[in-house]
Amino acid sequence: MSESQVPIQAPTINVQGVSKWFGSVVAVNDVSFQVRPGITGLLGPNGAGKSTILHMITGKASASEGEVTVLGQAPRNNPELYRDIGVMSEHEAVYGFYTGREFVEFTARLHGLDPIAAPVDRAIGLVGLEDAQHRKLGTYSRGMRQRMRLAAALVHDPQVLVLDEPLNGTDPRQRLDFHDTMTNLAEQGRTILISSHILEEVETLASTILLMVSGKLAAAGDFRAIREKLDEQAYRVRVVTDSPRKMAAALVGTDGIDSVSIGEEGELTVLSRNVTSLQRSIPRLAQEQGIRLKRVEPLDDSLESIFSYVVDR
Amino acid sequence: MGLAVIINLAAEGDAAFNEDFTNILLDGLLVAGILPIVTMALATSSFGNELEDKTLGFLALMPVARWRIVLPKVLASLVICGPLLVASGVVATLLGFDGEVRPAVAVAVALSAGVLAYAAIFTWLGLVTTRALPFALVYVLLWEGVISTFMSGVDYLSVRGYSLAIMSGLDEARFPALEDRVIELPAAIGGAAIVTVVFLLLGVRRLQRMDVP
Repeated sequence: MSESQVPIQAPTINVQGVSKWFGSVVAVNDVSFQVRPGITGLLGPNGAGKSTILHMITGKASASEGEVTVLGQAPRNNPELYRDIGVMSEHEAVYGFYTGREFVEFTARLHGLDPIAAPVDRAIGLVGLEDAQHRKLGTYSRGMRQRMRLAAALVHDPQVLVLDEPLNGTDPRQRLDFHDTMTNLAEQGRTILISSHILEEVETLASTILLMVSGKLAAAGDFRAIREKLDEQAYRVRVVTDSPRKMAAALVGTDGIDSVSIGEEGELTVLSRNVTSLQRSIPRLAQEQGIRLKRVEPLDDSLESIFSYVVDR
Repeated sequence: MGLAVIINLAAEGDAAFNEDFTNILLDGLLVAGILPIVTMALATSSFGNELEDKTLGFLALMPVARWRIVLPKVLASLVICGPLLVASGVVATLLGFDGEVRPAVAVAVALSAGVLAYAAIFTWLGLVTTRALPFALVYVLLWEGVISTFMSGVDYLSVRGYSLAIMSGLDEARFPALEDRVIELPAAIGGAAIVTVVFLLLGVRRLQRMDVP
């Protein structure tokens, strides 16, 4: 690790009063937070400003106002800092003409590593793509490309990892592997900031979360505490079945269900303050009662509605 | 090249040939037309593809000085466009002047300086706007084509003017048609060098300051 490594638990990323606007559009509005070693999830619906914040943290974009430091240094116009930062952006920026290994080798060379064979082997091993490393990136599935991009972000053994929607396109098995890799890296004292718009992705990975909604930091801190607060908000789901009254009766007797109403066309509207319980109860009850589920859809369509109470409080 | 032969056959004497060859082929076709257009097509897109497929964002996150990203782009345009343009200019000049080496060398140096200066300008333009090609076309047609032809002082700020002046300065005997309308050789070399360096630096500065997607 480099000399710029900071003591354990000191904040490695510091975002202070940061705003970013594009013309009259405010993408990020007066956001402040600190990120310490370990895994931190940056959570929020699409368009919440997560990627903009990550762009400012990685120096790809300037802040219109406020200050960002990583390992005590401003990331903007500071290429040397990238020796200590590994970044995986949301966009699949890869050179399709390279094999996976060549892509990681290319990244290693750009980082000035010499020799490169050992770190490249280690990085590819971490993502478990040894067997596919000699295939062209253009032939990879999306999940494989994501993993090889992660290998490229890890090849220089960075102290800080910034990953923007890293689990896009990955299958459940790959998610488990990713979870293990991140946990191991975090245990080694690295700072890992992972953005996602999917609650469950971050829930299993990060103990600390930063919750962004509409360009503002809605909440920050321990995941469980925030999750409990989120669960206090009513969540509505429309359920269409072949036996609406039977399904309604089953749901009414279930913990975590606040109310069930039947619409004119027989569709159920279920109100719950426990999203996780609701998600599990509906298919279980349908199976137990022999009811055929035709459609289950959240009426609060995006995370934004779930988070709205946090913003409005 | 074919045009060089046609001009050679059609011209009635040395003086008439020199004037036609220089004004029509070297200036009108090569320096004012093919040189900027070919360089423009390549240099404006040297960052365009990487901006479009987001791979510039990947490069921007590497511990690499920004000039090490911009300079190879400019040099790549020189390496790709230069040989093509210089070869056609040199062969045409050799055909036109019965194999004389000196005017061919003058043309080669002038075209190389022009390619390098244009490459720096258009590479910077490709970083500034996603519509670099139309802007470059307007610049070439208006500034380098029309304005520099009719306003003598503009030659000091024109890549076309630098190229013609270098050509003339390196072989005054073979390009007398240019003698009265070009700037001095040192000013042309200095101007081309300054334009190249300034736009290289502007490109580096742009890459440092822009929000990379």
